[in-house]
Amino acid sequence: MVEAGAWWTLLAAPGLLVVLAALAVAGNAVLDARDAGRLVGVAGAVRPFLGVPRALVAQPRRLPAQDRLLWRTGVVTVPVAAVLSTLVVPFGGRVVADPSVGVVWFNAMEVLTWAGLWLAGWGPDAAFSLIGGYRFLAQGLAYELPLMFALISAATGAESLRVGDIAAAQDGLWYAVWMPLAFAAYLAGVLAFSFLGPFAYPAGRDLAGGVLGEVSGADRLLLQAGRWLWLASGAAMAVPLFLGGGAGPGLPSWAWSLVKTLLVLGLLVWVARRLPVVRADRYVEFAWVVLIPLTIVQALVPALVNLHR
Amino acid sequence: MSGTTAALSLLGIALIAVVGVYGAAWAARIGSGAADAAPFGSGLEPTEHAVSRFHVRWYTVTMLFLAFDMEMVFMYPWTRVISAMGPSAVIEMFVFLAVLVSGVVYAWREGALRWT
Amino acid sequence: MDLTGLTLRVAAARPHVLLAAVPGGTAVRLAAERLLRARDWPRASTPAQADLLLVAGPDLPELRTPLERLWRDMPAPRARVHARTADEVEDALNAGRALLGPPAVRHASAAPPADAGGHREGDHGARERHEGDDQTPGHDGHGDHRGHGGHGGHSGGQTEMPGGLPMAGQGADRDGLTLDQLHLPLGPLLADWPAGLTVRLVLQGDVVQRVDVDEPARPIDDAAAEAFWVQPWLRAASGEPVPVGEAVRRRAAAHLDSLGRLLAVAGWPAEAVRAWRLRDDLLSGAPRAAVAPRLERFTRRVGRSRTLAWLTRGIGVVTAQKAREAGVGGPAARAGGDVTSRYRQWLADIRRDLPRLEDPAPLDVAVEDSPRGPWSAEHPPSAALIALLPRLLEGTELAAARLVVASLDPDPDELVSRGVVEVARG
Repeated sequence: MVEAGAWWTLLAAPGLLVVLAALAVAGNAVLDARDAGRLVGVAGAVRPFLGVPRALVAQPRRLPAQDRLLWRTGVVTVPVAAVLSTLVVPFGGRVVADPSVGVVWFNAMEVLTWAGLWLAGWGPDAAFSLIGGYRFLAQGLAYELPLMFALISAATGAESLRVGDIAAAQDGLWYAVWMPLAFAAYLAGVLAFSFLGPFAYPAGRDLAGGVLGEVSGADRLLLQAGRWLWLASGAAMAVPLFLGGGAGPGLPSWAWSLVKTLLVLGLLVWVARRLPVVRADRYVEFAWVVLIPLTIVQALVPALVNLHR
Repeated sequence: MSGTTAALSLLGIALIAVVGVYGAAWAARIGSGAADAAPFGSGLEPTEHAVSRFHVRWYTVTMLFLAFDMEMVFMYPWTRVISAMGPSAVIEMFVFLAVLVSGVVYAWREGALRWT
Repeated sequence: MDLTGLTLRVAAARPHVLLAAVPGGTAVRLAAERLLRARDWPRASTPAQADLLLVAGPDLPELRTPLERLWRDMPAPRARVHARTADEVEDALNAGRALLGPPAVRHASAAPPADAGGHREGDHGARERHEGDDQTPGHDGHGDHRGHGGHGGHSGGQTEMPGGLPMAGQGADRDGLTLDQLHLPLGPLLADWPAGLTVRLVLQGDVVQRVDVDEPARPIDDAAAEAFWVQPWLRAASGEPVPVGEAVRRRAAAHLDSLGRLLAVAGWPAEAVRAWRLRDDLLSGAPRAAVAPRLERFTRRVGRSRTLAWLTRGIGVVTAQKAREAGVGGPAARAGGDVTSRYRQWLADIRRDLPRLEDPAPLDVAVEDSPRGPWSAEHPPSAALIALLPRLLEGTELAAARLVVASLDPDPDELVSRGVVEVARG
C-alpha cells in the first residue's frame, strides 16, 4: 500500500517531475546529436537548457489584436495541469494524495490540456496558431477515448479507481502483460497529450510551429516545459497503472518506481522519433474504427476475470 | 493532509512557480517595453483577423464523442461494483457499449469519420 | 555581479536561427544548414522563436519588405546578418553570434531605434491606419490599403476593428455551411518551402478553397542568381565539358534535399536530418562506399515505412498522363501517382544513380534529366511543377497541401536564373 499525505511530498512530487522531464529533454538531445553527426556527450545533452536563460531575457512581443488573458491562461494551463496530475501518481511507497477517484483525477487534468492548447492557439490572433489549436481538438477526439478505455481497463482489473489499489492489485502479474492493448493505447495517449513525436500535429513544422509559432519568452518556456512535464507525468503514471508500481525483488520500492519510469520515458522518447506526425484526418478514422473497439474488448477481459474471481 | 488540501496546495505551488518564471523574465528582460509585432504570415502582412468562425469539419465526430464521453461517466463508477453486482453489470455495460459501437459503424459507413 | 550579461552570453551560445532563403541562394542555404547542424544552432520557423535572422542568397528588391517584416517581428535580443555567397556564411554566423553578446545587445537596447528604418516604417503604418479609421463608413479602402486588401466579404457594419484589420469574411463552402474564410499566404519566406515561392490560399476551416500563385521574385542582376541544382546542365548546355558523375551526384543530392524537406513537413525531423546529412556528404564529394550503407538504411527506413505511406496515400495524385499534358517530366512524371509514389521514386532514383557517382563520361543534356526533369532553359521543369499546384491544392487539407508542394518541390532558382523568362501562372 502507498502512504499518502506527508507534507514534503508536495515539493518532492513537482521536483521529481521536473527532473524526469529534464532527463527526457537531455535524452532527446543526445539522440538529436547522434542523428546530426555531432559529438555525443554531456555537453550536447545539456545544450537545450540554454533555452531557459534565453527565454528569460527575451523582450515581450505584442500582437495587434491578441487576447493576452486567454492566451496566457492557455499557456499556463498546460504545465500547471501536468504538475497537478502528479497528485495521484505514487512513487515507491509514497504519494501526495491517494483519493478514491485518483484515475479520474489524472484523466481530468489531462483533459485540461484541451482547453489550454486551444486557448494558446486562439489567443495570439494568428492563423497558423489558430489552426494548430483546432488541430489539437481534432487529435483529442481520436486519442481520448482509447486512452480512457485503457485507464478503465486498469481500474476494472483492480475494481478500484484508487491508484494505490491498482498498483497493489497487480501482485505478481503486471497489467501490461495481460492487457497489452490497454498499455499500448495508454502510451499512445501519453504522446498525444504531450503533443510530441507522432502527435506533434498541433505544433507541426508544416504550420510554422502551430500553437508554438507566436509564443516567445517566458510563455514559450512554460508551454514547451508543459509538453515534457506531461510526458514525464504520463510515464510515471504508467508504472502504477500497468507495471505493478514499486513492486519488485531486491531493490527498495522507490528504486523500482524510478527504474520503471525511466524505462517508459526512454521508450516514449525513442518511439517519438521513429514515426512521422499522424495527421488527425487519418488518425480519427483509425482510432474510431480500430482502436476504440479493440480497447473496449480489452476492457471486457478484466471485467470477465473479475466475475470468475 | 486531506486530498482537497493536498490538491489545493499543489495548485498553489505550481502557480507560485509560474509566477516565479514570469517574475524572473520581467526582471531579466532586455529592451524597453514590448516589441510591436504582426502574426507570422511568411513575411507578408495579415489582411484580416485570424480569429473567426472556424469551420471545423470534424463536427460530426464531436457528436459521437459526446455520446461516448457520457458513457464514460457511467463506466468509471461501474468499475467498482462489478463483483458486487455480478454478471448483469458486465452484460448491461457491454451491451450498451455495443449499441454505441454500432452507431460508430453506421457513422463510419456514412463517411462521418473522414473530412478531407 | 553582471547577471544579465552572463545570461546573454549563455543564451548566445545556442541562438535559434530564422533562415530566410532567397531565390538564387540555394548554395548559401545548403552551407548554412550544414553549419547550423554542426553547431547545434536550432532552426526557428517563425520570428517569435528566433534570435538570429540569416538571409541566405542575393539581394532581391521584392523580398526587402517581407524580410523587414520578419525582422520587426523578432523580440530582442536579436541580430540580423546576410550571407550573399556560400563562403560568407561562416563569417555571417560568427558576426550574428557576436551581435547577440552582451555589449552589442546593450548598445542596441540603449538606443531603441537602432534599426531606425524599421521603426519609422512601423510608426508610419500606425498613422496610416488611424487615418483609415477616421473615414466615414462607406469610404473604406481609401485610407488603409493594408487593412482592406480588396478581399471583400466584410461582415456587418464598418465598426472600428482592433489593429485596423477587418474580420474574416464569409464564403460558400462544399459542406453547404457558410462560415468564415481565412486568407493565408504560404511563402515567400517560410521554412521547408521553395525559396521565394508565394502561394496565396483561401481557407475555410483548414481546407484549401482557392489557390493563387504569385510571380516569383527576381534578383536585380541576373548574374547574382545561380540555379545550384541544375548548374552542371547549364554548364554542359553552354558547351563546357562536365562529367556525368558530377551531374548524377548533384541530382541525387537534390533528391535528398527534397526528401528532407518532405520529411520535415511530414513531421519526421529525425529522418529529415539524416537525409540532409547524406545530401551534404554527397555534395562534399564523399565516395560511394562512404554513403552507400547509410543511404541503404535510410532508404529502408523511409521507403518501407508503412506509417508514412499510409499518411501520404491518395494525396496530390498526378497520373503519368496528366503529367505529360502539363509538360512535367522527371521523377514526378515517372512516379505517376500520389505523394507516396513520388517520394519512393526519389529513393529509387537515388539508388539507381549511386553506382555512377564517379562516371567521367561527358554529360549529354539530352540524355540525363536534371533533378526535376529534362532540362530546357525555355521551359524549366520547375515552371511546369508550379503550374500544377493550383489544381492539386484546391480541396486539400492544409497539411496535405504542404505535403503536395514538398513532394513536387519546384525549385524557384530555375526560374530566376539567366535565360529563363516564361512562368506559368495558376
